[in-house]
Amino acid sequence: MESLSQALTWPFMQELVNAHGWLWAVFEIIHYAGMSLLIGLVGGLDLRILGCFRSVPIGAFKAFMPLAIAAFCGNVLTGLAFVTSNATGASFYVENGSFQLKVLALLLAFVNLMVFQFSGLERRVYAVPGGADAPGSAKVVALVSLLSWIFVIIFGRLLMYNDALLYTFGY
Amino acid sequence: MLDTIEKLPLSVWVAESPSVFAYTLVLSLHAIGLATVLGINALIAFRLLGFGTGIPLSSLRSFYGTIYAGFAINLVSGVLLFMAAATNMGTMPAFWVKMALVLTGMTLALRLKARYLDDSAATASGVVPPAIRRLAWVSLTCWTFALIVGRLTGYPEIVARIFGYRI
Repeated sequence: MESLSQALTWPFMQELVNAHGWLWAVFEIIHYAGMSLLIGLVGGLDLRILGCFRSVPIGAFKAFMPLAIAAFCGNVLTGLAFVTSNATGASFYVENGSFQLKVLALLLAFVNLMVFQFSGLERRVYAVPGGADAPGSAKVVALVSLLSWIFVIIFGRLLMYNDALLYTFGY
Repeated sequence: MLDTIEKLPLSVWVAESPSVFAYTLVLSLHAIGLATVLGINALIAFRLLGFGTGIPLSSLRSFYGTIYAGFAINLVSGVLLFMAAATNMGTMPAFWVKMALVLTGMTLALRLKARYLDDSAATASGVVPPAIRRLAWVSLTCWTFALIVGRLTGYPEIVARIFGYRI
């Protein structure tokens, strides 16, 4: 953990954010915009697979996926900016239980996406027309996706208040 | 008045309880509601502006239930967050600008629905009138500024520097 913290502490980023305090707020605004787009576009697709907005053909969401990927990339970059520029070093994040759980939720979302992509589910799901139901297995994948993104947000918000998490679970 | 709100038992519990289910859970719910309201509003605006044309225009009204759910989450969590920091938030200009932008955003969303999305004959034509496209642009802009100003409520010193006043 210590060597990871050291590798992710970038003095030039710390100096940059220290010299321009407003940069942190700008990173946060971009991070929140990316989060909103991900929930609107990927969460919207998940909800459709789960049975909401049934008149929408599921394949219609495919057109929005490049934008969702761009939003995710923006969030990875701004997330990296937070970790590398933290005044007390990257250990604040790397050794933070809430941050570790957030990364775990992100990994779950990624593995789930890989299952969706490479199991042939994606092709079958995108062929579902308006008014029709998605296959049951796709609903499981959509539910896991939705829940993992919700947990990414929850643990992301919690990482500034990690003590509350530790207190509640008796540490 | 703000002081009285902040001293209510519920306000004190939200602000001071060390439990993860107090301030931090309310804060997380606020982020989830925000992402839902902004994300789905953006999805609708993008479709009206010509992206993702596979979504039938007549289906867009079915997304409103999700917007209402996100807004309800944020109304409740927002009131609780305000109660916990009433003297701070209530006197912060950025907070009231954010409130005005959120109200405008929701009014625009309802207006889009009433003027166009609820009109099945109009949406069936597949054509989005220029006035509705303009409304979609205004909606996107309004929510973007609501997000920016909302984040800035956490940075009163930056807002003070931008507008040249002391805090």
